[in-house]
Amino acid sequence: MEEFFSDCVYVGRGISFTLQLLTGGFFLGITFGTVLAILRHNGICTPFVKGFVSLVRGTPLMLQMSLLYFAVLPLLNIPMEVLSTGILSFGMNSAAYVAEILRGGIESLPKGQFEAAQTLGIPRFYMWRDIILPQVVRNIFPTLINEIIALLKETALISVIGGMDIMRASQMLSAEQFSYFTPLCIAGGYYYILVLLIEKIGRKFERASHHRPAGL
Amino acid sequence: MSAPLITVQQAYKSFGTVRVLEAVDLTIKAHSIVGLVGPSGSGKSTLLRCIQGLDTLDAGGVTCRGKVGFMFQDFQLFPHMTVLQNILYAPRLKEKGAALEQRAQKVLEQLKISAKSSVFPMHLSGGQKQRVALARCLMGQPDILLCDEPTSGLDIVTTTEVVSLLQSVCALGVTMVLASHDLEFLAQIATRVVFLKEGHVVADEEPCDTSSLKERYTTIFSHKE
Repeated sequence: MEEFFSDCVYVGRGISFTLQLLTGGFFLGITFGTVLAILRHNGICTPFVKGFVSLVRGTPLMLQMSLLYFAVLPLLNIPMEVLSTGILSFGMNSAAYVAEILRGGIESLPKGQFEAAQTLGIPRFYMWRDIILPQVVRNIFPTLINEIIALLKETALISVIGGMDIMRASQMLSAEQFSYFTPLCIAGGYYYILVLLIEKIGRKFERASHHRPAGL
Repeated sequence: MSAPLITVQQAYKSFGTVRVLEAVDLTIKAHSIVGLVGPSGSGKSTLLRCIQGLDTLDAGGVTCRGKVGFMFQDFQLFPHMTVLQNILYAPRLKEKGAALEQRAQKVLEQLKISAKSSVFPMHLSGGQKQRVALARCLMGQPDILLCDEPTSGLDIVTTTEVVSLLQSVCALGVTMVLASHDLEFLAQIATRVVFLKEGHVVADEEPCDTSSLKERYTTIFSHKE
């Protein structure tokens, strides 16, 4: 039993890295994804946005990350840590998916909401920030939670470029013990607990957002 | 004689191959309540939208002297904001302070909706939403108020209330253009009725009572083969 707990502690060393990767990647993804969705809605840089989304969704994340870490960054002579590279790759990848989710949310809003803002003389920045996006985010919240969960599971790919996340920690422990079962089960347990936590926090936010008026 | 508040000159508008407005000329003087009537697809809403600038004309021009407010058929209140937030949001971007709050309270009281100031639109009835939409327009202190089907979906009692509300708004010096199918409503409120048929202005006159307005409507729009 004592050995099991020490294994849990060993694999648990990767939690912090996994969470940093997840939060960094998601916030970068939602920020860039929102910009992409607004650009596309307004018909600005549409070929670029479409091309970016198509390319990112059409190639594996592992390839994107490897390309960035092993080829693009060395070619450009830009030194970047594993964590930063991971956040950048996960963020860009997530942005493409978030942009499409947001696009669906924006298109599902009545055109009259945009027109009402226009007739009231609300500047575009405020219209997006206070009128459109709060409604869109509320509508797409469950899909965004799905995206965070998918991103969490994809963080396991960071081991390809050497990031010390939960998966990598479990692999190292397996190599030390010449046994895969316990370390991998522990890693699975950690991922599952994190997913449950995200779901719980998501539900809390969802409930709160349905009761809270938008800030003025 | 004062210059007209709204001037529409030789307005043309098409959606694809469908011509919605054709050579529309219209002048509207201050302090009048003008009703636009006609069957569905006659161009009433499009004319209002072109006056507001929500749609652009293919040819011709629209001139408005003064601030224009627009009331949508389905109100288009912001569902994630309370009544007070709905009416204060836009003016707060331009001015701040207690005077604005007081003005909002005054408008809400005038429209008898102050008890609902912290309620979200989804918890309001059709008539109450109508009042909030009107309050939101009035907070912008418009000189011209354009209303698209202001009584659609409202019962007779609420419609009567809307009539007195709009009359009180007109008494504040606001000129109104109302696109409506409701001839009874227009007979009560309008000082002038413009008949639109297939994008043309076919008649422009002062209304008498409901029955003569209905008779006139039938004469103009009945299909004679």
